[in-house]
Amino acid sequence: MVEGAELQQEIEKIFDTSDVQYIIGYSTDTGGFIRIPFFAKQKQDVAHLIFSPFCVNNLAMYLKQYEGSGKIGIVVKGCDCRSVIQLITEKRIARENLVIIGISCGGVIDQKKLQKKYPTIDRSIEVMEKDDDFIFIMKGEHHQIPKKELVLEKCLHCENPTPLIYDVLLGEKKQSYGSERYSDVRQFEEKSLSEKWKFWETQFNRCIRCYACRNICPVCYCTECSAEQLNPQWLRRSVTLSENTVWHLTRAFHVAGRCTGCGECERVCPMNIPLMLLNRKILKEVKDLFEYTPGISVDETPLLTAYKPDDPEDCIS
Amino acid sequence: MSDQFEPSILAFLCNWCSYAGADLAGTSRLQYPPNVRIIRVMCSGRVNPSFVLNALQQGIDGVIIGGCYPGECHYTQGNYLTRRRITLLKRLLEYVGIDPRRVQMTWVSASEGGKFAEVMKKATEEIRKLGPMNQIKRSNEW
Repeated sequence: MVEGAELQQEIEKIFDTSDVQYIIGYSTDTGGFIRIPFFAKQKQDVAHLIFSPFCVNNLAMYLKQYEGSGKIGIVVKGCDCRSVIQLITEKRIARENLVIIGISCGGVIDQKKLQKKYPTIDRSIEVMEKDDDFIFIMKGEHHQIPKKELVLEKCLHCENPTPLIYDVLLGEKKQSYGSERYSDVRQFEEKSLSEKWKFWETQFNRCIRCYACRNICPVCYCTECSAEQLNPQWLRRSVTLSENTVWHLTRAFHVAGRCTGCGECERVCPMNIPLMLLNRKILKEVKDLFEYTPGISVDETPLLTAYKPDDPEDCIS
Repeated sequence: MSDQFEPSILAFLCNWCSYAGADLAGTSRLQYPPNVRIIRVMCSGRVNPSFVLNALQQGIDGVIIGGCYPGECHYTQGNYLTRRRITLLKRLLEYVGIDPRRVQMTWVSASEGGKFAEVMKKATEEIRKLGPMNQIKRSNEW
């Protein structure tokens, strides 16, 4: 487990040795276990920075605001690091302008699962990691719970708990927790066309088109989104099944080969639409068809801007 | 007039090969179904998946994208890029329950008027069997 003091020490060193404008990290909410993003702009701010298994946010999202000059620092977990790599691949930000503080992550807690387990949760809850368990301290009582029961779905088969690139690494290097087999996607694929449509119809019908999924996505950084474009207007404003379906297909396709599967879109969705089921389908197809995995190497060419003469041709009639 | 379903089909044809192929089919007086409406694009690489989705929203029952044969693109790589895109798009459509046969891609060269007519006939019959596309048809005005 990464201690706050160790993190703060390292970040102080970064402020001393390089001219970073700010460092993006995590801090504590005003009351309780929710961890919020925090921008440390000077050395005095470092005392606010922390890390715990409650730090679920993908901070790579804030690289969208980067304006193209000067150095910035960012605290990343293994999964967040893949988003950062993807942004470097797309030349959104240069590697030399980033100081990456990597954290070897032991899985982060799904707040929905936690609240289900403890409906009357005390906001002053504290958590510690011990091997494969979390230890919660609530009102002086210790509760030991296996990690498997509480971590986010993506953590269960996380392949890169240790960031793939970093300048400073905190915590010990960890082995992958499993390999991604996309069993949920494969299971869904077995259904018939009408069953699939019936499922997605109910899901998309619930969408309120708040665009939270877009705003949180680290790789959705277009200055003008086609969802808001008026001329030509690809997507109308009405919240109807037709527009919602097209929005979700457009979004999923726009991040095809760029989405690293961080799961932030599904986490922030107020209507609990299973967006990852859609994203993971694309991740799987991209891997099967083109042997491409987004966000693992900075030298990769983005998927849809490249081709191989012998790409699969099953779409040709 | 028979009362069988007449699908409307939109074809995006590339200027250099498929469109010339369609032209040849016309000048050779080859018959192909009148259900097909053609939009000429400079390259099949111009076809954005949004075009396809938008067509389906507006009541088109099937979309065909025609490009040059691999290696023959006037812009070197446009057809290769579209091939990747359309392959993925079809998988995605199938996954949400929209029949992937409604979106087809084909290679037609400038000298293949006959093939063009054949492909259009085949596609029209296939889409006719699928029936009207009303899953994501737009009814809202705004």
